[in-house]
Amino acid sequence: MGSGAQIGKCVQFISWKGWLDPGSESITQPLTLNMKLNRLRAITGLLCLMGIIHAQAQEKFTLSGYLKDASNGEALIGATVLVNELGTGTVSNVYGFYSITLPKENYTLTIRYIGFEDEQMEVDLIDNRRLDVELRFEEQKLQEVVVSGKAEDENVSSVQMSTAELGIKSIQKMPAFVGEVDIIKSIQLLPGVTSVGEGASGFNVRGGSVGQNLVLLDEAPVYQSSHMMGFFSVFNPDAVKDVKLYKGGIPSRYGGRLSSILDIRMKEGNNKEYDVSGGVGTVFSRLAVEGPIKKDKASFIIAARRSYADVIAKLFTDALSDGSQLYFYDLTAKTNYNINANNRIYASAYLGRDVFGFDANQGFDWGNRTASFRWNRLYSDKLFSNLSLFYSNYDYGFKFGNEQDLFSFGSEISTFNVKPEFSWFLNARNEITFGGEGILYLFEPGSMLNKTDGESTNTSLESRRALEASVYAGNDQRLGSNLTVQYGIRLSYFNYLGGTAYHYNDTIPGRTKPLKSETKYKDWASIADFLNVEPRLAVNYQFSRSTAIKASYNRMNQYIHLISNTTGSTPIDIWQASTNNLKPQRADQVALGYFKNLANNQYELSAETYYKWMHNQVDYIDGADVFVNKYLESQLLSGEGRAYGLELYAKKNEGRLSGWVSYTLAWTEMRVDGINFGSDKINRTGKWYPTRYDQRHNLKLAAFFDLNDRITFSTNFTYLSGTPGTFPTDRITVGGYVVPYINNNERNNFRIPDYHRLDLGMTINNVWRGKKGRSGEDSIVISVYNAYARQNPFSIYFSQQRERQQSGLPLETSATQLSMIGTVIPALAYNFKF
Amino acid sequence: MKNVLYILIGMTFASCEYEVTPKLAELANLMVVDAWLNNKVERQVINITRSQPYFDNSKPVKIPDLEVSLIDLTDGTVFYFEEGPDHYYWEPTDEGLGQIGHSYRLLVESAEETFEAIASLNRTPDIDSIIYEYNTPNFLLNEVHYTVQFYATDPKGPGDCYWIKAWKNGQFLGQPGELNMAYDASVSPGQPIDGQVFTYPIRFGFINPYTDDETREQTSPYRIGDSLYVEVHSIDRAGYDFLYNLYFQINRPGGFGELFSSPLSNVSTNIQSTDPNSTTAVAGFFNISAVRGQGLKLSQEVADQAKEKH
Repeated sequence: MGSGAQIGKCVQFISWKGWLDPGSESITQPLTLNMKLNRLRAITGLLCLMGIIHAQAQEKFTLSGYLKDASNGEALIGATVLVNELGTGTVSNVYGFYSITLPKENYTLTIRYIGFEDEQMEVDLIDNRRLDVELRFEEQKLQEVVVSGKAEDENVSSVQMSTAELGIKSIQKMPAFVGEVDIIKSIQLLPGVTSVGEGASGFNVRGGSVGQNLVLLDEAPVYQSSHMMGFFSVFNPDAVKDVKLYKGGIPSRYGGRLSSILDIRMKEGNNKEYDVSGGVGTVFSRLAVEGPIKKDKASFIIAARRSYADVIAKLFTDALSDGSQLYFYDLTAKTNYNINANNRIYASAYLGRDVFGFDANQGFDWGNRTASFRWNRLYSDKLFSNLSLFYSNYDYGFKFGNEQDLFSFGSEISTFNVKPEFSWFLNARNEITFGGEGILYLFEPGSMLNKTDGESTNTSLESRRALEASVYAGNDQRLGSNLTVQYGIRLSYFNYLGGTAYHYNDTIPGRTKPLKSETKYKDWASIADFLNVEPRLAVNYQFSRSTAIKASYNRMNQYIHLISNTTGSTPIDIWQASTNNLKPQRADQVALGYFKNLANNQYELSAETYYKWMHNQVDYIDGADVFVNKYLESQLLSGEGRAYGLELYAKKNEGRLSGWVSYTLAWTEMRVDGINFGSDKINRTGKWYPTRYDQRHNLKLAAFFDLNDRITFSTNFTYLSGTPGTFPTDRITVGGYVVPYINNNERNNFRIPDYHRLDLGMTINNVWRGKKGRSGEDSIVISVYNAYARQNPFSIYFSQQRERQQSGLPLETSATQLSMIGTVIPALAYNFKF
Repeated sequence: MKNVLYILIGMTFASCEYEVTPKLAELANLMVVDAWLNNKVERQVINITRSQPYFDNSKPVKIPDLEVSLIDLTDGTVFYFEEGPDHYYWEPTDEGLGQIGHSYRLLVESAEETFEAIASLNRTPDIDSIIYEYNTPNFLLNEVHYTVQFYATDPKGPGDCYWIKAWKNGQFLGQPGELNMAYDASVSPGQPIDGQVFTYPIRFGFINPYTDDETREQTSPYRIGDSLYVEVHSIDRAGYDFLYNLYFQINRPGGFGELFSSPLSNVSTNIQSTDPNSTTAVAGFFNISAVRGQGLKLSQEVADQAKEKH
């Protein structure tokens, strides 16, 4: 039945049902009656739109089950179940579960997942059927698996747009910095994703700041995604199964950040046999063990990485003999248990830390900790649920001094979440998702201990608490054979709780706001609360099996803010709740895209445009003290942002030569009163200025070439327009110092030179294992980062001379271009699995 | 605090830097009033100059023919500054400028326009002691070395601000990273500590030069025979905010430390035209300080005591 006909029938149904069936309501209550009628009409209308109510009933049954990898029992995320007779189907969820309800009939199913052999099967659907399917790895395609394509035509057929997905297999093939496979670095090769340069933590998505990305590891938020100041990300690729980045059209089940959701799923662990894999690289060594606890019932994975620069250094020098430490590590563990056909539980944990210890009393360290517990339950073959409980913590600390005189400080954020989610596979046309999330935040914005001659003074800032709660509902609905819509709504609520509330007077924009009063609240009393409605909509109109137009709109709210006024994001940035002085951030984004697949899905093309409006963006007064500051809110400014652009993407999925080209043309600007106000000294009304991560052109190229069964070459090329920076015009001499001065108070008025870089990689498989009857597999990865040794600028800074000033002589000033990496970095890594 | 991070991180990473000379935008060429006065019995100097192109390394040139005066707003006394070849100055006879607790108004008059600024002269604590310390090799320096701390106690009552200046062997420790200021006993008002001994970073962090001026290599901050002289200058809150902002504008450690630096912006000024509708751009700062100082030489005897205490 076409969608038009169905809607027509619905309209008829509503009018008839609404007007002629007033039920038992008394006519003496016309108002109530009318309201009830309206409500009834609304409900029946909704049900009708979802296709629940049909003119004629037809006997239907549900086919459901789990899709898995036959070799290790890992759930396949996003695999397709295609009903050949109907030309439609469904896709497995993040736990590998699928469900589809069809009229009683005999069907042929095709189950597909890229890189795996198609599975064809006959199903005589005469009752509700549970069908778990294990797919086999397609041997000859081993070498040429590129971007995880999931369903082969997902690019066109899925309603989801503005997403970027990478399978771990393609991430592992890319030439990487010092040969270390890296998830965050890999997603930066996709359109719309950038970073301000080497050394900066995190990533920027469609003109959003680093703190506007929600990074989830098995659903637990990870507050700092970088090791060693952004050179590596904190996720161990050996334990990661799937990575999906939502840049727009974000479904209603996600919320809490403005720009993107990076959803990283960990492997469950092989439930068939034991696997040991690992690698020896230039910076890290890695080891992962996985295997069944009880075959096909329960499995585990434990994966660890540690840097060993310090271990090597200790062998050759005494530089670290005074108790100093320099290392980072992460440990990822997960286990799951199949209680029965309808219940499965998972527990996973992550612990990672960077340590720069200079002796027993001095140093700097930071790290994340997360723990998740999840329970998948099938209430029926149509109702899938997942209940997640998780904990996440990020902290950093810094110590300076000795036992007698010590100065230390730190900052910490902890969250406790509970998240029930339901997927209701209503019928072949509707998949309804609903659920909620409750988050308790604990902030330690700054704990500070000051010790003088053994006597301590604790000047820690007050701990803060907040609650965030949200409920959502959404539906993926097929309206006819060409039109699919995903619509949903999310209600989010935030409550800033207890402690001291500060009230400030207004002042000239850009100056510290003077304190008016302080109010003490009881621990759990509400200081400020916010309630927001976030509508979400995505539409896919498929012209043919290979062409589609997609459009989306989403509104997002963000209640916690990453406070950073540094050039790049760093581990010492702190998280701050929305308060009576700091409003939640809000963004509205629209996107429109054209998607085309060619040559039987061998080539994927897409073009997307987006426009994003951002409100209540956080900025800082000049000279703000964001470190440990009780009155931080008096120095925060609020402004608006806008980001828009065009993203082009072309990808070749198969063949000896595969890879992709992505290009983004983008603008990202902010306007904040008190910043970039030109000559308007009186009102200081801000003018639009480009943000630090405004990069006009962003070209990325990734290519893989299979020379033969054993050897694969890979390369990637990056070109980014220079990022903006603030350059002075004058120098002024005050108090004996030479100070840069910017005519007209401009912000980001210049651009540093463009960034471009070529990386090369070669993977040789089965070097030792896999030969002469030896089991397992191994590979050597040789990579060259920054192959033509370009000194890509991170920033240009202006400073007075380093030499001590001789009295009476003028000070010299100069500009310095800084490159974090100014040379070729070759690397070698050996990876094994047995 | 950030300077400490710079040291730590600078040691761990090697990056690459070279000097560039980008073409900059149009010059503001504005008037700069540099008036940091104090109550010491010595010549008080006000530099009034024009800003220069950023890469112009010459000495800034005085703006001539201005009337410069300082008015005590509490008792009405007026101090007239005379024009010298390089600057405007006031020469004391037998006592210094100003009285603690009084407010002052600086007036700079040209033929076209009058500029003013207001500051108050606040109290300052005595320096109790200067203590040298003997250190065995540690992460800052892999050899036996001497460091120093000065001890002074912030008087009770919140809101006292100070600029701490230090001289090693008579040479002013005036590098950007050595700009040392205090808000009460703490480094900033956001971390309030009142009426106590200055915190460790203030006592230690800015007066121990670990880098040799000539060789640029790590060296013992103090050796036997070296001396330290420290002065605590009281400043007002506006002066503190100015210096705090200034610190982040001039501290460009380079290398990996650049990750932690703030974007460039103009420092504040308390100099303004008496005409509220004036659009003349002006920069600089006026403040007036009460000063207490103390010095100590690291003699053999002092060094022996330090070693014994260790």
